[in-house]
Amino acid sequence: MRYGRHRRLSLTLMTFNATPMVDVFFLLTIFFMLVTRFSSAEQVPMELPKPADSRAGVVRMPERVVINCRLADVDDPGGRTVLYSIGPNPPRPLAVIAEQLAGLKRESPGLKVVLRADKRLPYEDVRAVMRVIADNRIEVLNVVAHVAEEL
Amino acid sequence: MSESQENRDGKRRRERDRPSHRSSRRRRGGDRGVPIAVNLAPMIDVTFLLLIFFLVTTTFERPEGVLASDLPRVGGTQAVPLPISPIVVRIAQTGPGVDDYTIRIDRFEGRFDRLDALPDVLRRIQQQPGFDRETPVVIIADDDIRWDHVVGCWNAALRAGCERIAFGEP
Repeated sequence: MRYGRHRRLSLTLMTFNATPMVDVFFLLTIFFMLVTRFSSAEQVPMELPKPADSRAGVVRMPERVVINCRLADVDDPGGRTVLYSIGPNPPRPLAVIAEQLAGLKRESPGLKVVLRADKRLPYEDVRAVMRVIADNRIEVLNVVAHVAEEL
Repeated sequence: MSESQENRDGKRRRERDRPSHRSSRRRRGGDRGVPIAVNLAPMIDVTFLLLIFFLVTTTFERPEGVLASDLPRVGGTQAVPLPISPIVVRIAQTGPGVDDYTIRIDRFEGRFDRLDALPDVLRRIQQQPGFDRETPVVIIADDDIRWDHVVGCWNAALRAGCERIAFGEP
């Protein structure tokens, strides 16, 4: 019987109250789900223009192509080599970009072009891309800038 | 253990194991006596995975937006005559520094070296006879001007309420 009494004592369970932990997990998960913005692969990291009181707006464009213009070395402000690429593709010379853009324009005449250029680039490097875009009879240019900070 | 003690224990055991009228009713009613427990472990696992995923993927950056404008038209076939009297905004580099630039508007007096002043200047021009919000604004920038300033100029024209903004060749 003494043995049985011991067994009864050992049945006292140590329980772990998981409810507060689940509450916190849920709150954190919902918070991060709301604040997360998934950056597209075509958004190559670069320093974008950040104009004061920006009028840039988030627009959905189904038929669009993104042209990235960035400095070769993001960490080197004195770097002068400019890399041009279409979307997430590797950089190509501007002549190749022009050919690719012409092909895309043939496939979808309503093509829209979004130009993402590093804010430190001199205008002549960006204007070269703008000429390529205009040569393909795309007259409306969409330039990427940071949107205004929400208060 | 005494005999009476054994008898008492056996009686209790028999009473416990005997299917009583109450307990059989309870069983018919769907085992209401058995505590129903939700196994939280898979839910906690999934929530934890989701939490880690969002923690890793979240970046707190200002979102990107687009500014739309007309391109410079190059070549005779694409050239479209602009309406008369566009407002031509010129940005020129004046020194080696990135912020050494000056802004001038054709046919209007004055130069200024801050983009903040441009919206007010454009609004004043729009109030003059022959100009309004639909008057085209053409931005012409030097080759060595930073792209940041060109976009800033463009944004300033949008802030001034200009509805037609284009880029021009110098």
